[in-house]
Amino acid sequence: MAFGIEAEKEVIMKANKKDVLTGSYYIDGDVAAAYGAIAAGCKFVGGYPITPSTEAFEAFVHRAPYVGGITIQMEDELGSIASILGAVWSGKKAMTITSGPGFSLMMENIGLGAMLETPFVLLNVQRSGPSTGLPTQAGQADMMQSRWGANGDYEIIAISPDSPQEMFDYTIKAFNLSEKYRCPVMIMADECVGHMTEKVVVPEADKINIEPRRFYKGPKEKYLPFKPDKDLVPPMAKAGDGYKLHISGLTHDEKGYPTFSQTPDTKRLVDKIRLNADKIIELNEDEIDDADVVVVSYGITSRVAIRGIEQARAKGLKVGNLRLVTVWPFPEKRIAELSKKVKAFVVPEINYGQIVYEVERCAHGNANVVLVPHGGGFVHNPEDIFKAIKYAAQEKKKVEGIIEHKTELYRLIHEKNS
Amino acid sequence: MKIHPLFSTFANAVKKAEIESDKICLVSDFLYQPKISEYLGFDLFHVTRGRSIPFATGMKLGNPKLKVVVFVGDLITLGGNHFMHASRRNMDIVVICVNNFLYPKINGKKSPTIKSAFSPYSVFERPVNIPHVARSSRAVYVARWTALHKKELTESMTRALGKSGFSVIEVISPGNCYFAGIPASPKENELIEFYHKNSEIKNDEDTKNVEITAEKKIIVGKFFEKKRPTYIDSYNERHSKVIGDKFKIYE
Repeated sequence: MAFGIEAEKEVIMKANKKDVLTGSYYIDGDVAAAYGAIAAGCKFVGGYPITPSTEAFEAFVHRAPYVGGITIQMEDELGSIASILGAVWSGKKAMTITSGPGFSLMMENIGLGAMLETPFVLLNVQRSGPSTGLPTQAGQADMMQSRWGANGDYEIIAISPDSPQEMFDYTIKAFNLSEKYRCPVMIMADECVGHMTEKVVVPEADKINIEPRRFYKGPKEKYLPFKPDKDLVPPMAKAGDGYKLHISGLTHDEKGYPTFSQTPDTKRLVDKIRLNADKIIELNEDEIDDADVVVVSYGITSRVAIRGIEQARAKGLKVGNLRLVTVWPFPEKRIAELSKKVKAFVVPEINYGQIVYEVERCAHGNANVVLVPHGGGFVHNPEDIFKAIKYAAQEKKKVEGIIEHKTELYRLIHEKNS
Repeated sequence: MKIHPLFSTFANAVKKAEIESDKICLVSDFLYQPKISEYLGFDLFHVTRGRSIPFATGMKLGNPKLKVVVFVGDLITLGGNHFMHASRRNMDIVVICVNNFLYPKINGKKSPTIKSAFSPYSVFERPVNIPHVARSSRAVYVARWTALHKKELTESMTRALGKSGFSVIEVISPGNCYFAGIPASPKENELIEFYHKNSEIKNDEDTKNVEITAEKKIIVGKFFEKKRPTYIDSYNERHSKVIGDKFKIYE
């Protein structure tokens, strides 16, 4: 007998009409994310304001009382993420919103969320770091932290939107993915997308698909909180319904009781994402089939890259554009496949190299990998991406490791004394 | 088999307070891991060290119908800040702080409420006066008992469970005998009796006088009780005032 998602595959839930403010708006990415969360059925945000994510928290706080939601400004980010985990277990959909230093504080409970298989969404509007860094300016340097931040083995899903419209759309998607795979889902936006004001179209409620929580439907006394369905995800129960839940952050067995060795459940935390990766990964590809050089980018950088790519194409270079919508799980197969066809990958990102390591790993030495680093604060000059593409297209020999393509700004800042 | 007195006191209190046991959720962290729920069948959430109070805050806000009880050890160490803020907001949770003067799971480490412990050169730091911290951050119910004050402790727990608001009960008790399967060593039995013998009941005592020191007797009793609107009460009141009819009371 199958319970949970297997049993009710046909049911497609639509968003609640009250939660969706259908219409077109001129709003910034942060606000769009808050509207997206509400449309997805999020009823609880525990947060602590931090630039550049504050507008999202503010917008949610403003709307929550009208949709039966509740919010709380916690004492710190340690508290805000712990509170949303609690709210999820008492039956709400929940989200927390943060940036750089707050994200660092949240790490231990991201691990707890993964361990307890708690579905929640974390919006990280990235700023430049490390530490307090550049509070009001863009960065993309939390990408590796989002995956590896907490202790132990686990997998998360990370999405990187590049416009206010996507902040709305992908926040809904993030909630759907988190409910489907019962794992933390992070929206790794950046200050530019968060503060960018653009047109956002909010569709009608019946055009928005919502993944319902996978509540257990069988007899109460037979419920095992960590016994998975066929797709490796266990159905959930909420506190206060008489399931006698024993939910522990200790390594546990199917019952949730602590064990003193690794169990199949620990492996499942990574397997449920890795084995379902093909279903989760979303990529935007453009003119990739006959490309010599492929630009791999995400977030705001993928929008900047378009200009560089256009310039290169105007010069007759064959350039493909591969935009990572979901950054984690990483599209290993696709990059490996492309590496056999193309000369080089160009990876611009607003950090000194993070996702580029993944690209290099998956290229298996078949193609050159060119990094266009940027220290943060603002975005790349498209000219620099164009130059990197030109260099990558002309380079004839295979270069081992990552080739750092230094931009003029980079030289100006870092090499002025040498 | 020896079972910690807290088991029976808590079970009796739940019975006396006439709360549906399904609605009781225990939240604890690594500083104290109540086996209570494994024997009595409450929902238990065992979270990251020191974060049980914010987790409980989220649970209560997520479903105000739950009765959330936080069982913690020396909670002033990790998450002392959460304690003060939950208290200030008057989150409707009961905090039972089992003060054993040392970390039960990490034997020999110093804890901020420590009086004497396995510190080779003895301890020179002053302990934290938990009831006073609770009182000054405006908890609505503050009491302290040793684990052997079973009658009084049951009464206090019943009162706290029946109340709405942030209630704090400090229980003075050695830590290790809560492992029900493992027989408590005679030393622990002696210790639990030692605490009981060396205590003095002073109800309604000003919390600033109840600091635990080696020289004085442990002062126990119900120190403070008051009624105050909870976070959800204040939330509803404020929002219905500002938003008006469009606001639906959150409950």
